[in-house]
Amino acid sequence: MRRNLGLLAAVLCMFLAAPLVAHHGFETEYDRNKAVKLTGVVTMVAWTFPHMRVYVDVTDAKGVVTNWNLEMGTPNDYTRQGWKKGDLLPGEKVNFEAFGGIVVESRGQLRSITKVGETKPLFSGEAPGFVPPSLQ
Amino acid sequence: MKRVLVMSTLLAGLIALPVVYAQEAVAPSGGYSIGFGGTRISAKDAARPAPRLPDGKPDLSGPWVRGGVNNDFETDAGMKPGELATYLQPWAKKLMDSRKAQDEPYTACLPMAPPPAVHPYPWRIVQSYTWRGMTHIFIIHENGDSGAHRQIFMDGRKHPAPEELLPTWFGHSIGRWEGDTLVVDTIGYNGKNWYDQKGMPYTDQLHTIERYTRPNYGTMVDNVTIEDPGAFTRPINLKLTATHVRPDIELSEFICLENNQYGIAGGFRPGTGIGNEPLK
Repeated sequence: MRRNLGLLAAVLCMFLAAPLVAHHGFETEYDRNKAVKLTGVVTMVAWTFPHMRVYVDVTDAKGVVTNWNLEMGTPNDYTRQGWKKGDLLPGEKVNFEAFGGIVVESRGQLRSITKVGETKPLFSGEAPGFVPPSLQ
Repeated sequence: MKRVLVMSTLLAGLIALPVVYAQEAVAPSGGYSIGFGGTRISAKDAARPAPRLPDGKPDLSGPWVRGGVNNDFETDAGMKPGELATYLQPWAKKLMDSRKAQDEPYTACLPMAPPPAVHPYPWRIVQSYTWRGMTHIFIIHENGDSGAHRQIFMDGRKHPAPEELLPTWFGHSIGRWEGDTLVVDTIGYNGKNWYDQKGMPYTDQLHTIERYTRPNYGTMVDNVTIEDPGAFTRPINLKLTATHVRPDIELSEFICLENNQYGIAGGFRPGTGIGNEPLK
């Protein structure tokens, strides 16, 4: 029960926080109405500037594979939360949530990513939920 | 006597340092305070006295976060809705209204804004000594491509004559001390980027006067006046506050052009948004 409350709080935090912290570029590229929750296999983790990106192969019911390109914030924010380069690697299976791109839907803004079999989202730091700094 | 002063200052610093490091940083409230360079300094550390340099001048180092107005000038400056428009000449208001967020120069890896820009990443003041004393101050921003570095001449020189001055993104800055306040006077801006992501314009007639004070360890106050007879109706006075970051945080690098994919998900090719020419 307590855990459920925590989860609820986390989700609420994400939704409440996002509009407050919108920053450069989000609204022009991503659509809050295209929220997705998918499972896939990581193909690449790009520790790049200005923003990190995680690429995930998602296979649909018909067996068609789409490689999602998920934008995050600057790598500096994640290293400050204690995330290390080996914490997420190609080949790992993940659940993720994202806002899809306005035009190219499979280019998403990553909201949370969790390894399959684990409950704690990656690089969420002290915060229960995760809102990419690029939303700020 | 001077040596004793220097030694005791250094000693005091060495004693104070582990205390600052030992303090646990304040946990972020809500789920989104992980940006802005990480969590902030603890309230207890923030309340400590502002440190001084061996020569007695205030130590303004930081690193700091925030203390600017770049997201939405009107909101960040604490103005009422519609108030900013009263500061803008009609052409400037019209230009601002015509701008699209996707063309913001910053998103094309160009400098974010003239001071006082807010930087979501840490920034640091470097008080630089030569044999003649504190001759330069540099303000360095983590997102260097967007914020670059600012150079402030502290050696008593004046601004060049207007005909000698080539306008630049961060202008020509000269600084002086008024007691414990660092006053930075800057002209020679090029007027090319936007003051905020809403598209607030300014021109090459911009003149900024920043007054930095550090009332305690964790706080930097910037009382800033920005005036631009080319775009504003009257000077704008702001009081802005920056916060010291957690003591273990240092500036990192930020190479914006490495992998900037801005625009593709939205199906547009971003413009550079450069230029503040009045609309005909």
